[in-house]
Amino acid sequence: MEEEEPLAPRGEAQAAHTEDRPAGEIDWQAIERSPEFQELIRRRRSFVLPGTIFFLGWYMAFILLTAYAVDFMSERVYQGLTVGYVLALTQFLMVLVLGIMYLRRADKVYDPLARRAIARFVDDDAAKPTTTTEETPR
Amino acid sequence: MTVLAAVNTLAIAVFSVILAITLVITYWASKRARSTSEFYAAGRGITGFQNGLAISGDYLSAASFLGIAGLIFLFGFDGFIYSIGFLVAFLTVMFLLAERMRNAGKFTIADVLSFRLRERPARVAAALGTLTVAAFYLIAQMVGAGVLIEKLVGINFTLSVLLTGTFMLCYVVFGGMLATTWVQITKAVLLMTGIFVMSVFVLERVGFNPIELFNQAEAQGQGKESTFSLGPGTFLKNPIDTVSLGLALVLGTAGLPHILMRFFTVPDAKAARSSVVYAMFIIGGFYILTTFIGFGARAVLGEGGVEAAGKGGNLAAPLLAQELGGGEGTTGGDLFLAVIAGVAFATILAVVAGLVLSASSAVAHDVWSSIIRKGQNSDREEVIAAKIAALTIGAIAMLAAIVGGSGLNVSFMVGLAFAIAASANFPALLLALSWPRFNTAGAVTGVLFGIGSALVLISISPIVWGGPPGAPDTGAFAWYDLNNPGLISIPMGFLGCVLGTLLSKERGAERSFHELYVRSETGLGAEKAAAKH
Repeated sequence: MEEEEPLAPRGEAQAAHTEDRPAGEIDWQAIERSPEFQELIRRRRSFVLPGTIFFLGWYMAFILLTAYAVDFMSERVYQGLTVGYVLALTQFLMVLVLGIMYLRRADKVYDPLARRAIARFVDDDAAKPTTTTEETPR
Repeated sequence: MTVLAAVNTLAIAVFSVILAITLVITYWASKRARSTSEFYAAGRGITGFQNGLAISGDYLSAASFLGIAGLIFLFGFDGFIYSIGFLVAFLTVMFLLAERMRNAGKFTIADVLSFRLRERPARVAAALGTLTVAAFYLIAQMVGAGVLIEKLVGINFTLSVLLTGTFMLCYVVFGGMLATTWVQITKAVLLMTGIFVMSVFVLERVGFNPIELFNQAEAQGQGKESTFSLGPGTFLKNPIDTVSLGLALVLGTAGLPHILMRFFTVPDAKAARSSVVYAMFIIGGFYILTTFIGFGARAVLGEGGVEAAGKGGNLAAPLLAQELGGGEGTTGGDLFLAVIAGVAFATILAVVAGLVLSASSAVAHDVWSSIIRKGQNSDREEVIAAKIAALTIGAIAMLAAIVGGSGLNVSFMVGLAFAIAASANFPALLLALSWPRFNTAGAVTGVLFGIGSALVLISISPIVWGGPPGAPDTGAFAWYDLNNPGLISIPMGFLGCVLGTLLSKERGAERSFHELYVRSETGLGAEKAAAKH
């Protein structure tokens, strides 16, 4: 097996996480201020925030109906199929639809934006998301 | 229709085959689990699809399979509420945590917190949260394992717990995350196949018309004694408690250490999110099929099967399998029962292995390496510490399960684990990743408030105090009647985070927030994958 991890003490790398860590060559605040990063945050937030409010709202509405509207949930839609089961199926549908919508947006919009946001500030070699944390100081 | 009393040789044969497969996996993995990255995170070489299967294998416990099928058999609709909560919870995980955990973390929840907070208190708090959740969940699963194996195979409870614990430790100690992952994948495939075949058998009886299955189930759920209903309110009778449970389920998954840890095993954020969607499909499909099993058990076994299915209806699914295979005493019936029992056994093994691994990572990575040895130990020493931690945790869990005995209620314990996860781990993680002002005092107070309030509320809950039979269900105090503490303890967790942050003067965490923010959103500087397996 490849020895990809150094056997030396890993103290420096880990301590560097917390206390006054030298920011290294990467200017995090500059990336944060960049238009690409701001665009990434804006686009992602404009989906995730309403999405979260919607799914938590619809889910908790289902739970509240289950808890407090027993008669309504027990009403028949067709033979043995009750309102409760129909609403439960909408929860399944919601999970799959939101899941796939997010996946597609992330692949098409967020990932390219994230790559551009970090590419502007680091050279090609470091732009690949593989740097810093575990690297031993050279 | 009696539960098997004597030792079931056919079931033992099926169990042996499953154990043999898992041991081959462990042997293969054992040559690779040397570094911490291999031991905790399978070298981050698991693909999105594999991880989706493994998440399902980690998540779908015996409480999901036998427990929910049993609840649906006994109570109908109310059993399904657990399924919905368990599934919708993955949207919480996907939208709020999965990718950001992968980008910013290394092996444990504490890695994300300590990134921008003072390391020692942050790690102690996170490790405390992880260990508390793992303890509740692990003991519940071990008890479940003991009870099921005792009933299905005919070996006694203590021996069953020891057997499960020994194999679980074998996977974790010798094969680390790689073996655990592949045991979980194997289990997910076995479980989905088993439950799919059973569903086809059930649906075949009603001409593949699910509505007809509903009708027949209802026809078998009539009568004064029957608790079965196609509407809510037969199992979860206290509305406010239902809301509390619902909240704990939907936020709890996002605080389960063994599920969050799975996101460190994939190469990047893209694989992390695709694994959640695969898991959604697998888990969603699983819960639809569980409904068919529960209704099938009701339609086929009827009210007469209630006693044989035992407390909580846990044996409804195996009994249904026996009946579908041709009935008690027939070769087909015995074989189908043995196979389903084997699937249930594999289910438990995969879940407990994941739990022990996450608990041992908290002990070895956070407490031993970072706090006691202050990062001066070698990578190899940490792996050894993790193995010793796993053995210790496993031994304690086995002992607790044997001493606590079969009297512990499995689904109740799992519900509590979710409540603690949602109250202690979730608020601190979410705020560390999204609130610039958040600081160490906030994280520590939040975790302590979350765990503390959940434990105090559990200890005064009606189910713990259990009034005399027939008396109204009240806890230690007449005014408190929640069995699941989530509705109060989750806001307490958040409140603790906010109060702790605002009342302390520590502001340093704001500077490191920028780095964590950029890292978690872009994946810059994320832990890389090791070479392929």
